[in-house]
Amino acid sequence: MIEFKQVTKTYDDEDYIALNDINLEIKKGEFVSLVGPSGAGKSTLMRMLTKESLPTFGQVIVDGVDLADLDKSDIPMLRRKIGMVFQDFKLLSNKTAFENVAFALEVSGVGEEEIAEDVPQLLSIVGLADKANHFPSQMSGGERQRLAIARALIHRPKIILADEPTGNLDLVNSYDVLKLLWKINELGTTIILATHDREIVNTVGRRVITIEKGAIVRDQQGAGRYII
Amino acid sequence: MKQLRRIISTGWTNFRRNSYLSFSAVAIMSIALILLLGLVGFNFLTSKTVDSLQGKVDVSIYFRLDAEEAQILSLRDEINDLSNVVSTDYISRDEALELFKARHSEDALIQESLAELDDNPLQASLSIKATEASEFPQIVSVIEDSPYASTIDSIDFFENEAVITRIQSFSNGIRSWGLAITLVLIVIAVFVTFNTIRLTIYDQRKEIEIMKLVGASDWQVRAPYIAEGSFYGLLAGLITLVLTYGILYGLSDRIAALTGDIDLFAYFSQFWLQIVLLVLVVGVTLGVASSFIAIRRHLKV
Repeated sequence: MIEFKQVTKTYDDEDYIALNDINLEIKKGEFVSLVGPSGAGKSTLMRMLTKESLPTFGQVIVDGVDLADLDKSDIPMLRRKIGMVFQDFKLLSNKTAFENVAFALEVSGVGEEEIAEDVPQLLSIVGLADKANHFPSQMSGGERQRLAIARALIHRPKIILADEPTGNLDLVNSYDVLKLLWKINELGTTIILATHDREIVNTVGRRVITIEKGAIVRDQQGAGRYII
Repeated sequence: MKQLRRIISTGWTNFRRNSYLSFSAVAIMSIALILLLGLVGFNFLTSKTVDSLQGKVDVSIYFRLDAEEAQILSLRDEINDLSNVVSTDYISRDEALELFKARHSEDALIQESLAELDDNPLQASLSIKATEASEFPQIVSVIEDSPYASTIDSIDFFENEAVITRIQSFSNGIRSWGLAITLVLIVIAVFVTFNTIRLTIYDQRKEIEIMKLVGASDWQVRAPYIAEGSFYGLLAGLITLVLTYGILYGLSDRIAALTGDIDLFAYFSQFWLQIVLLVLVVGVTLGVASSFIAIRRHLKV
């Protein structure tokens, strides 16, 4: 499903090495926790999957496609296949909850009727059925993150990238978000969760990949734990 | 079609929700457009003023008392054939006398003096109006070279020359300065409008980044902003038209009194279609172009 082959990323004329010779394969349906301290390179790794960032050397392959071969005009198509959840939610502040989710469908050219049917369904799955007409500023942190997950899910993506999704949430809300990600994973979606939250990682207990200073230092295939 | 409806409705929703920014953009654009119409009016006023000054300038030829009327009329035809002559007005000796009598009908002394004379003392004259005051020297030189030049007693161009030159330089000055000021003000207005729209888009750069991350193509991000820009232009255009026509209608009398009977409102009414189109096209173009340029730099995600 996802493959990193000898991926290196440097910034500022090779003065700063963000990722160093990463080799990694993630199979379809896996739930992978990417752990490590801030600045270890977790986000850089994820940003490469949506072609927000390009490797300096090496290959990134998603669903059989080498992203280096992907035309600029095909990037939107790639991003529609991948759902993304961020620490800062990245919701459209001038759109309501309904419109935020609907927007992801609109950009793929989905018709009004399908949108009117799918969006409320998904909002109720994440427990926001009664908040459809609220703006993000009128919602709590946990609600915003669940809305972001609803938006990431609306395309029925094959991959969900969650970059510190619980970073701004309290324990109860973090757990809610985690449960949602689990549920999504059970339905067959590959999930990559980047976090530096020990509690979260230990609760998930699946494959755990530890990154430090741009390199993979540990890859625990099952029932992994956060060990630093 | 579905896409277009979606773009327009999204643009409209954004326009409503960003009401503060929309308001300032529309206000700035309205000022720019009012300025534009002000300059249209200003150009009309100056060209009217210059025309009426130019219209007042003519050159008269006075003929010798023994000149034959047939010769004078031939000379007149020759002058009329010149492309830079607008019209000529021939006044024969008899007509001149009648006019003179009529003008001084109250003055008994003059009437009596005229009655004493055996012969008509007045000269026949031909007054010439040219397309431009600057054409007179050339017209006069043609007249002086004409075979009928011998019938001419005097040409008053040489007395009028100083006045004509001054009017000429005055009107050239108004025209070129008016044009220069027009251009400078329009450029400023365009810059201010562009920057206002750029600020409103800069304010939403995060949103643009998010849209791109969710999988929107450049055009899917850009189109609603362009629609929004055209709404700014449309609304600003309508405000401008209502204000301008309202003010001109209300102040029509005063403007006429100030400018010596130039009816600005009548001019704007006569060319209403052109003016409405001008304002709306300029407004929408300005809004669309500003949005288009301003959003470009934020699309690189």
